[in-house]
This record gives sequence, structure tokens and C-alpha cells, in this order.
Amino acid sequence: MKALIIIKEQDYSWIREVLPHVHPLLVPICNKPFAEFLIDFSILAGCEAIRFVSDGPLSDVEHYCDDGSRWGIAVSYSSIQIADELQQVIKKNQRYCSDGKIIVISGFIFIHYNKQKDYKKLFAALPEGEILNCICGSLSLSGAPLDGQKAIVSDVALSLTGLNSIDVYYRLSMEVLGYASSPYVLPGYSNEAYCSIGSNVVITKGAEIIKPVIIGNNVQILAGSVIGPDAVIGNNVIVDRDSTVSASIVMDNTYIGEHLAVTNRIATENILIEPESGASMAMEDPHLLTGIKKIGSAETIVQSLVHGLMALILISLQLIPFLLLLPILTMQGKWKWYKNTSYTTVSGKTLKLTTATLERNGLISTLAGALSLDRLPLLFRVLSGQLAIIGGGAVVANSNTVADLSSAPSSNRACVFSYAEAEDWPLTGGDSAIVERYYAVHGNPFQDIIMTVKALFNRILEKNTP
Amino acid sequence: MIISEKLCNDVTVISIKGTIDAKTAPELKKFEFASALESPVVIDLSDVDFLDSSGLGALVGIARKKRDQGGNVTLACMNNKVRKVFEITQVYKLFDIYDDVEAATLNAGKK
Repeated sequence: MKALIIIKEQDYSWIREVLPHVHPLLVPICNKPFAEFLIDFSILAGCEAIRFVSDGPLSDVEHYCDDGSRWGIAVSYSSIQIADELQQVIKKNQRYCSDGKIIVISGFIFIHYNKQKDYKKLFAALPEGEILNCICGSLSLSGAPLDGQKAIVSDVALSLTGLNSIDVYYRLSMEVLGYASSPYVLPGYSNEAYCSIGSNVVITKGAEIIKPVIIGNNVQILAGSVIGPDAVIGNNVIVDRDSTVSASIVMDNTYIGEHLAVTNRIATENILIEPESGASMAMEDPHLLTGIKKIGSAETIVQSLVHGLMALILISLQLIPFLLLLPILTMQGKWKWYKNTSYTTVSGKTLKLTTATLERNGLISTLAGALSLDRLPLLFRVLSGQLAIIGGGAVVANSNTVADLSSAPSSNRACVFSYAEAEDWPLTGGDSAIVERYYAVHGNPFQDIIMTVKALFNRILEKNTP
Repeated sequence: MIISEKLCNDVTVISIKGTIDAKTAPELKKFEFASALESPVVIDLSDVDFLDSSGLGALVGIARKKRDQGGNVTLACMNNKVRKVFEITQVYKLFDIYDDVEAATLNAGKK
């Protein structure tokens, strides 16, 4: 038996807007990623292999689940197109689906199961076809039942909940939290009902824990705080002095400030969400609510140094030709300055930039273009750390480009030269994003030196500045 | 890199063996298909052991050229290394990807 878990971007687009920093398949339900519930269920159903299939990115899921050896099951991944129907998905995964029965879990659905029940026999005996469905998806089976076995779903506890709003997600989390003896395997240590605590948790004297409650790993609960009832505290969370968290979910990497009462809310970094209405509020005061950020890695620091050094070398080479040619080009009307606001990172922070366009006709302007003199003003921003010398390209900030940020790699920074220029990919259209995503993962400071030189070389042959 | 071409049920199946990188990508880019321009193409990637951004550019280039001529390019049998490159760059959105050459051949050109 194998499992095919099909989840399309349209199924989970709503959660991307609410919780943008976590892949929908890894959204925690009582501190356990959603995908793990699906894996647990597949194992209980007797599956030896699981394949996640999506028309969206699966790299975060793959990073978490890897090859499934942690669960003793083979996990693989496959991509489909947005318009692919179930039959087409099965055709695209024909080799995987060719032998034995396949449990097909389609849509953004939570399967209510019980870890103490025997689903192996049930799924071996069930006939081909849909087993359960709900508004958001279905659970079905392909392949004939084993001879002489008959079963019906009502024999065992099994039901579906379609995850289609933040309110459903909140209520589901509270439901899972509310079991005295959970039908699911939940993370953390528990020696009494309604209470589970992770590792490296500091509960200061004077703090109060009221069940039911689940607390993740690396959590600090400071004096005077009251956690619970009905509180889910994620990993890497600090609840500061005299604060109350009840009937709420505090997501990973969140700091709850002093004297704060969080009730019937979902707190994620600096955002508070009211589940019922879906309304969210971003807190500007970091002393009240904020995200706990990781310190920049050594590679990021080396990268900034390398970029700064390259900018310094280029400035020293370009400055004299720039000072000599600029007055001539300005008089010829071939050099034009303009101001714009660009996003500095995918987090949406903006930066006002003064950039130049150069009309490449005539000897002097061609020479200036070949020397990339139009990029010189931006190089000073590299020295101040505001721009990268090479990266994913600067996205001009306006209402049309906000959506582009969500699909951009998280490490993307506004830059002087782009990877697309270095690789000579078309700068317009979606293709440039491909090479930018590639180097967002495979890039390194040494690679950036080579790519900058390549970009400079390619600009010699370029006809007009973009 | 070794490129071999065969015709199977009116579908051209291209098998690529080896590395598709900056050195070999131009060869793939310039590859002339023996079959008709509008005939669907399946590229079997099972023996590709490395793919970089240049190789990706060559595959995207082939697909764009083929589509402009009314044909289609389908990919089959990606190994894990190649699939990861497609995943991080989101190029999977541009192609129909099958885990079996036979299934890809049967379904290529149906869209």
C-alpha cells in the first residue's frame, strides 16, 4: 500500500496570506506539523511509501520530511500542473502507482483518526473508490480489495475536516488539544492528561500553567505569567512577566511582551489574528509582540564583506571615467537620472534609489555603457550595506509588484547587478526569476565574484540599459 | 553529455546522459530534432547526474522553441538531484513531468 497526498496551491492559498512564513503542509496543529499527521495516518493505514504531489513549492516540506527515514517510510515528491485532474496526476505518477493499492488524500484536509485503531485491515479490504469527502477534498482508494475481505468505513473512527479558514484551523487545534488521551501522537513530554511540555522549557517560579495546555521546545515562561487553559505555545517562544495566554495559539518564534493578555487569538511573530473573523493586527511595538529572529550566519557576513570589497574595487575603477564622461553624456541628453522606490528584501522594506538610464548610441555612451557607469551611483549603497552587488534584481515598489515578493526567494535582496544579467537570461518575463531562485540556493560569496564579472562582461555587449 | 533520439508512437523521445552544465548546455540548446517541428517531445532525464542554471536554461529554451512551433515538451524520470533544481527554481510550473517514460510518451501531445 502507498499513499499519494495531492495538495494544490489553490487549496491552501488562504493560509499563505495569514501565515506566510510557514509552508501550509508544515503549519503546526498543537505543535505538530500538519504533514506529520498525514504521515502518521498513512503509516497506520499500512502504507510503505508516501508521495507528496503539488503544483506549488515543496522544498520546505522536503527539507522537513527528507526521505522519510525518520518515520521508517519512503517519502518522495512530485510536481503537477494547476489544471491536472486526479486521473492526470495518477498518470504522471504511474510508476509509483503501478503496483498495489494507493490511498489518495486530495485537498487541504485533516483526517481524524485514532492511533489505537487498526486501519491496515480496513484499507486492505475496502473497494476502490471514494471513502470520505468534504468540501475541501477527499480520501479515496485505488486498486482492488484483497480477496475475501469486506469492510465498511463506519467500522472504525475516521472523518475529515476541510481546512479552509483560520477559524477552522483554530477550532481544530483546540479540539486536538482538548483530548484527555490524544488519538494522535503529539510532541513533548506528558505524564498527565491535557498537558504536554517540550524540551528546554523554563517555567519561572510564580508562573502558572492551567490545563489543557501544550508547550513546545525552547520556551521561556517568566514570573507571573498564566498559560492556559486551552493554550498552545509553539517552539522558541518567550512569554514575558505577568502576561496571560488563554484559548490561544502562540506560533513558533514569537515574543509575548510583559503585562499582555492574549485571549482567543493566534499570535505569530508581531501579528495577532482573531480566528472568528480572520482579522489581523500587526503590532509595531516590539516590547508588546514581536518575532524572534535568527542572528545572521557567518556566510551572510562574509558575503556582505565580499560585496563591499567588490563595490570598492569597481568604484575606484569607474570613478575617473564617470567624472569625465558624465558631463558630456548629460549635455548630449543620453544620460538621465530618475528616482524610484525599490524593495530591499522580500520582507517588504523599501529603499529610495536614484538610478540612471543610458542611451547607447554613439561612441561615448557605448563606452560608458560597456563600463557600466550607469550602475556607479548604486555601488555606494553596497558599501553602506543597503544593496547587494549581485542578486535577484531590484523590484520597484508599487501595488502591482507586491505580489512578486511572495514568490521571490527569501534571501533575495535589491542589488546592482542581477544573476539574470550574468547568465544572459532575458531580464523581462518570468524567466529571470528562474536563475535568481537557482542562485538564491546555490550562490556563495566566491560564486558572487564570478557572477559579477560575468555580468560586467555581458554588459559590454548589451545594447541599451534596461 | 550524450543525447540520443528515438521515435515512439509519433513522439520523439530524447534521452540525455551525463551532465548538463555551462559546458554542455550549448550543445543541447543547438540540438536539431530529426522529427517534425510540431511533433511532441519527451525528454528522459533518468541518466542526468547534474543540472545547473545553464542546463535549465537550455531545457527552458527547447520548450519555448518547441511551443512556438506548435509542439510540446514533456519531461520524464527525473532523479532526485534534477528534481531539486526544478523545485527550487519553480521550473516545474513550465513542464508536464512524468515519473515514467512510457506514460509520458502516451500522454505527450494530448494537451
